[in-house]
Amino acid sequence: MSGDAYPAAPSGIEEYQPVFTGAALEQLQEVFTRYPTKQAALLPALWMVQRARGWISDRNMAEAAEVLGLTPAYVKGVVTFYTMYHQHPVGRHFVQVCTTSPCNVCGAEAVVQALLEATGAKELGATSPDGKWTVTEVECLGACGFATPVLVDDDFLESVTPEKVPELVKRYT
Amino acid sequence: MGYPHKPHSRETVVLSKYFGEADARSYKGWVKRGGYEMLRHALSMEPAKVIDIVKESGLRGRGGAGFPTGLKWSFMPKEKKKPHYLCVNADESEPGTFKDREIMRWTPHALLEGAAIAAHAIQAEVAYIYIRGEFTEPWSVMEKALSEADAAGVFGTIKIHLHRGAGAYICGEETALMNSIEGKRGNPRIKPPFPAAAGVFGMPTTINNVETLAAVPHILKNGAAWYKGLSLASPKSTGTKLFSVCGHVQRPGNYEVTMGFPLKDLLYDLCGGMRPGHTLKACIPGGSSVPILNRDETESCLLDYEGVVEKGSMLGSGGVIVFDDSTDMVYQIMRLARFYAHESCAQCTQCREGTAWTTKILERILAGQGKTADLDLLLDLSDNMTGKTICVLSDSCAAPVVSGIKRFKQEFDDYIAGRRKPVMVA
Amino acid sequence: MPEALVNLTIDGVPVSVPKGMLVIEAAKQAGVLVPHYCYHPGLPVAGVCRMCLVDIEKAPKLQIACATQVAEGMVVHTQSPQAKKGRMGVLELLLINHPLDCPICDQAGECELQDFTFQEGRPATRYSPEYAKRFNPVEDFGPDVLYVPNRCILCTRCVRFMEDVAKEPVLNVSERGDRAFIGIHPDARLDHPWSGNVVDLCPVGSLLSKDFLHKARAWELDKSASICTGCSQGCNVTLDTRENVVVRVRPRPNLEVNRYFICDHGRMNYRWMNRGDRIEAPLVRRGGELHATDWDEACEHVATLLRGAGGKAVALVSPKASTEALFLARELFAGLDWTGAFQVVMGEEATLTGVPNLALRAERAPNGRGAELLGYSRDYAAALAAAEAAAVVLVLDEPDVSVRTAGVLIYAGTVLSERARDAEVILPIANVAEEDGTFVNRDGRVQCYFQAKPAPGMARPAWWVLSELIAVLGRGERLASASDAFDRLAGSAEAFRGFSYRQLGFAGRPAAAAAMVPA
Repeated sequence: MSGDAYPAAPSGIEEYQPVFTGAALEQLQEVFTRYPTKQAALLPALWMVQRARGWISDRNMAEAAEVLGLTPAYVKGVVTFYTMYHQHPVGRHFVQVCTTSPCNVCGAEAVVQALLEATGAKELGATSPDGKWTVTEVECLGACGFATPVLVDDDFLESVTPEKVPELVKRYT
Repeated sequence: MGYPHKPHSRETVVLSKYFGEADARSYKGWVKRGGYEMLRHALSMEPAKVIDIVKESGLRGRGGAGFPTGLKWSFMPKEKKKPHYLCVNADESEPGTFKDREIMRWTPHALLEGAAIAAHAIQAEVAYIYIRGEFTEPWSVMEKALSEADAAGVFGTIKIHLHRGAGAYICGEETALMNSIEGKRGNPRIKPPFPAAAGVFGMPTTINNVETLAAVPHILKNGAAWYKGLSLASPKSTGTKLFSVCGHVQRPGNYEVTMGFPLKDLLYDLCGGMRPGHTLKACIPGGSSVPILNRDETESCLLDYEGVVEKGSMLGSGGVIVFDDSTDMVYQIMRLARFYAHESCAQCTQCREGTAWTTKILERILAGQGKTADLDLLLDLSDNMTGKTICVLSDSCAAPVVSGIKRFKQEFDDYIAGRRKPVMVA
Repeated sequence: MPEALVNLTIDGVPVSVPKGMLVIEAAKQAGVLVPHYCYHPGLPVAGVCRMCLVDIEKAPKLQIACATQVAEGMVVHTQSPQAKKGRMGVLELLLINHPLDCPICDQAGECELQDFTFQEGRPATRYSPEYAKRFNPVEDFGPDVLYVPNRCILCTRCVRFMEDVAKEPVLNVSERGDRAFIGIHPDARLDHPWSGNVVDLCPVGSLLSKDFLHKARAWELDKSASICTGCSQGCNVTLDTRENVVVRVRPRPNLEVNRYFICDHGRMNYRWMNRGDRIEAPLVRRGGELHATDWDEACEHVATLLRGAGGKAVALVSPKASTEALFLARELFAGLDWTGAFQVVMGEEATLTGVPNLALRAERAPNGRGAELLGYSRDYAAALAAAEAAAVVLVLDEPDVSVRTAGVLIYAGTVLSERARDAEVILPIANVAEEDGTFVNRDGRVQCYFQAKPAPGMARPAWWVLSELIAVLGRGERLASASDAFDRLAGSAEAFRGFSYRQLGFAGRPAAAAAMVPA
């Protein structure tokens, strides 16, 4: 398990740090070569921001806008469209559980409950008091035959059942 | 990472032949299995000739709409005046569907090879493979495969890039996907212009589904006649198709069968039937956007484009969702409506407001506060949401509602009349 | 070459329109207004509100009139049962989350959501009152714009205006589904010099002007066609008055000048029209003191001063004066050695990038071009120097100009200043909102403006005052209207030859090309 974790997100608003400097800027330059417009690099750029900072703040949106020749408002419109971009700090491990119909009939709601318990996050979308976990329900993860799929950070876990949850949570602690 | 099953004797394994073989993922392993021979062959052919073969094979789009692939390719300008693009739709997000994920994680080179052949056929120099953001594992497999194939120089002048989505079902709609590649909100575009005239970056573009493209090398290898011969019922539906079966079956998973295969056999034979003590109640045969079938319709349905339409639904993406007798249909239909309400891009009024309202009405019925008039309201609302918007997301929300009320009205009535224990929905 | 025409039928009315025209525009030619929200002729087509659904024969389903091009032989039904049901469905959905707060909404009375709901909406909603309505707080978008998200129908006109016309995408659609709203980045402001247009573009009461907030109900307003005096662009505007007070300036479409837009400078440039400190009666100097009098005596007084005067006459005029007044201010001194001049206040230019040749011009006056065409010079210093030895100096609505003259000083203006008190005669005139007249914009377009409110007291339009003086001096007939004044001008000034108010209409027309060559 690679456990590609995001940096810990302290409570409250993080101090702004630019992302596109040095190696990251070079990486973005490489991304530019893939598309005929700079704007097309926006989704990749936002992924870079999220990977570096754990979430995408208004200031970082403005930074992305600056490097891509866009306006901050435009970037914010795009960020808010895509549910995988975090507009707020999240726990060190971000858990997405599929609860759409095919998984729902296979018991996804129980998996969600088990995860809320085991992680201490208690409530959907809330971060556990130790800052480690945020659990969310998401719509179809595209692995319906492997109900219930759970995405922990970048680890795509299949056939998760409530029984497997405690062990799963332990692996990340 | 899950593992695919051992092929059942009644499957026709073409695309899924190497599912489960880790070695097939590497460039070397793929070449050892005859990979990239057809790409080399295709690159030596006139693009028009490749299109003719695919046209002749009868291959139709596997993403949902079932549009003839060769015909779609032929819409691209013959005389090239602007850059051409190929977009590969790997945004597999249709509830019930998980076949493209399997193709990418086990046979990434099959997709790359098919994409390169298609790019050659439509004279595109650049292909973007749009992979949904949640597919972290297929992404890394594809990334590795692409870098190996690039290093081997198999694509000639064709450049293939991966593009990662970020959580939006609607980006599976072709023009929304193009907007997303362009760095915009994934809003579907009004058509015309169609992609072949003005697609991604305003240039002539063809967009194909992963499974469609993965079939192309096989068609070139074995010939159009072979592919056309793979048809058990309607001659308009040819080849093999991966069906993703999920929900209440004993052995969910991807099954590759010849077009026209009986749905009943797929469920009871290949998938091992229902759980012990349970019987089939309903089935959504083509991903959540198509009408729900009841047991009789399901058990008499042939799996091809025409056969499913005959039963009142659509083949769609081939995502088969199975509900047994334990299923609360009202609740599941509410879950589906909620899915569409969550995923609506917000452009069209009917979709933005209608999907949310539909969900609220269903939630209220579940809570035991429904009224008899609510069913007529749902049907009328669904009518207002059907055939009136830019894309079909709104229609997709209406489909399970209308078909569900039609086929399982009793369950709705039970909630409304208080004969069923109310369900409080979070 | 003549444009290819396409023949089609809309609600039984045959029309022939240019190829490529949208059905929604063709319908206007058939006298049919297809209800719509997102469509606006000044913006790129979005096709998102789905309000303009129409039935087109042979089409498999309803089509939106705003994104469908006309085709030969097309038969369009806007009133078929399917089309009406489709649109009724949209209206119902637009209202389910709407607060229905028309009684406190500025848009009420000029709201397209009200209008179309009244026209073809459901008499009652089926959205249960038990469901909560979407709620978001009011947001302050910029210096003059408030956003009331609860009333928003997400037509995206405002977003498209900022993105495609102003080319400064400061607004966005945020979130998706029924959670969507018009957003702005917290560090940004809707302060583009043309941003006020989003308020006009908003078909509902979602984007509001702070300046106009709760100032008047739409049905209390009288509307008059006018021309903006903010700069030399000559944007066509409507002056909204409530009980003879100008309360709002809005753009009036003119594809040749300002399309559908005006800048914020022009939009806010109206308060002076309502000034209370106006000259309300003619004043003449008797025994060193200024005395109020009536027009007969005032005119006679001026005539006495002018009769027999010889030598130089100087006219120092405002470039905000009507072309008619400027013409007559020259006619009055026929026979004298006449010098006329004007000066223009300059400011910063602000272009509307997405529209060719549209900007808030640096030259902040509406009629500098008209003054030039009538022989007025920009050499103000020379005119002031000439004034010193002139027999008579007329100052037309330039209250702050300091004139030293040995001759007679006549001041015709709207307000009285210390400088103006030096005059022998002070004649009260109407301002632009109080008279009919014409301006010539920087491109030489002659455009009419019309009276929006009465002038205070005895103030009269400058053309009337000057024509009265000319008549008293026996140098011409009395003029009964601005239109007559224009006819006299058109009869003698080359640039206007053959023009009349009737011909100029509401859109104006370019002055004669030959006369436009700079002297």
